[in-house]
Amino acid sequence: MSEPRFRIGPEIVHETVDGEVIAIDLTSGSYYSLAGSGPAVWELLVLGVSEAEIGAALADRFEAEQAEIGPAVSALLDQLRENGLIVSETEVAVERPALASSDEKAPFETPRLERYNDMKDYFLLDPIHEVDTAGWPRPAA
Amino acid sequence: MGTQPRAVRAATGGDLADEYFSQLLDRFEQAATAVGGAGRLDLEMAGLRLRVRHAGEGLRAGLLAPFEHLACPPQGDPDLTISLFDTASSGIEPPPPPWDPIVAAPGTNPVARLRSERACVLAAAGSRGLTAALPAEGIAVFHLPDATAIPASERAAPIREALQLLMAERGRLMTHAGAVGRDGRGVLFVGRGGSGKSTLALSCALAGMEIVADDYVLLEPDSLTAHAMQSTAKLTEDSATRLGVPAALIDTAGFEPTLEGPAKALVRIPSLVPGRMKRRITIAAVVAPALPPLSSHLFASTAKKDEVNGEEGALRPMSAAEGLRAVAPSTVVQSGFGGEGSLATLADLVRRVPSYALELVSDPEANAAAVDRLVAELD
Repeated sequence: MSEPRFRIGPEIVHETVDGEVIAIDLTSGSYYSLAGSGPAVWELLVLGVSEAEIGAALADRFEAEQAEIGPAVSALLDQLRENGLIVSETEVAVERPALASSDEKAPFETPRLERYNDMKDYFLLDPIHEVDTAGWPRPAA
Repeated sequence: MGTQPRAVRAATGGDLADEYFSQLLDRFEQAATAVGGAGRLDLEMAGLRLRVRHAGEGLRAGLLAPFEHLACPPQGDPDLTISLFDTASSGIEPPPPPWDPIVAAPGTNPVARLRSERACVLAAAGSRGLTAALPAEGIAVFHLPDATAIPASERAAPIREALQLLMAERGRLMTHAGAVGRDGRGVLFVGRGGSGKSTLALSCALAGMEIVADDYVLLEPDSLTAHAMQSTAKLTEDSATRLGVPAALIDTAGFEPTLEGPAKALVRIPSLVPGRMKRRITIAAVVAPALPPLSSHLFASTAKKDEVNGEEGALRPMSAAEGLRAVAPSTVVQSGFGGEGSLATLADLVRRVPSYALELVSDPEANAAAVDRLVAELD
């Protein structure tokens, strides 16, 4: 029985600056800040990982027990999924990423995700309707 | 929405967007012939030579006047060419669009977009501007129905889509930001529409600083250069009053309130601050203006002075991440596509120069003084 794996959604662009992830959803204009130990989770999500793999990787990297890390990761994945920042896929022939391990452990900080909606007006004003090769408008989701 | 295809179908083996571009370019040539030949304006923009050809003088007056400050003598083949025509002047219609009409709600400007590897077609339902471009080849065509009735959004930022597409291909990112400075070095003003960028940029120019733009620049990331585009600024009536902009310089024609906020009028920057508009500036910092919380009415009042904030706008250093949050979203969402590259470019910018928040006060001169002091203090 395989676990679902998670990866960053296809319409999400993101950059990590100063230990904070800034992610923008190109379909809605919402943008997000992910801080605390969240960027370490994000780094793994870029590779495509399961929840268990994230938990194991963080336990290796941070001074915290699974009992603390597990629920925090689970809550973050829920938030990321609800906001459409990640997608899940059943594990089928997906190559497992090599997860880096670390000798020195850092303090674990609960991941913090903040959402900003102030760009929504731009989507109301100038929504883009993609036109496919059949020649019909396909409104942005 | 209808159900019958009304497209100009792609030629066999061709591509719909490529084909539409070819047909629109052909219609431009017909329009140029119909008006007795195309006029042209050669510009130096962001270090590139841009030739704008126009079928009729109406579009030149209505769309190209804001670029006259970038005019240069014709010299050899240009790097980029944009061809403009309108139906009212020439009698030439554009090819029927390969999509059903999209209805624009009042105050909105939905855009139909058709792309191929080589071509991009954008049709704005509100402004009725039609752009088709071959970005890699540096050519674009733009059509409007009537040069005598150019929508305000198009007059404020003329041929924006064509410029964005062609410039992005050459490493110049159209960035939603103003830019001011001294002696060729300065700051970018960033933030969404309504955050105070335009008023602050014009305040600085009126205080004697150089200005490149109030709202959009072309960012050349390697050299940290902000290049000028159009010379128009957009101001609310309140901002124009507080800045003391003479009524004779304000173009209010056709500018209506949108969902974005109160109506803004156009002001030609060179008319307001002769000699202070520059082609480019090197970016030494990013500044995000912020209206004081819960005080938009207070801020709007010309009578009320800064009883709380003191004489000068308060500058606060921001982290690079905060800077990116201020500069990136509006540029990235307006870029429509290529978002990943745009975000990476802007992330690189905030890693290389410091970012500041500027809490605005109601006195424009005080805000300008804070910016001027910052520019002087930056290395």
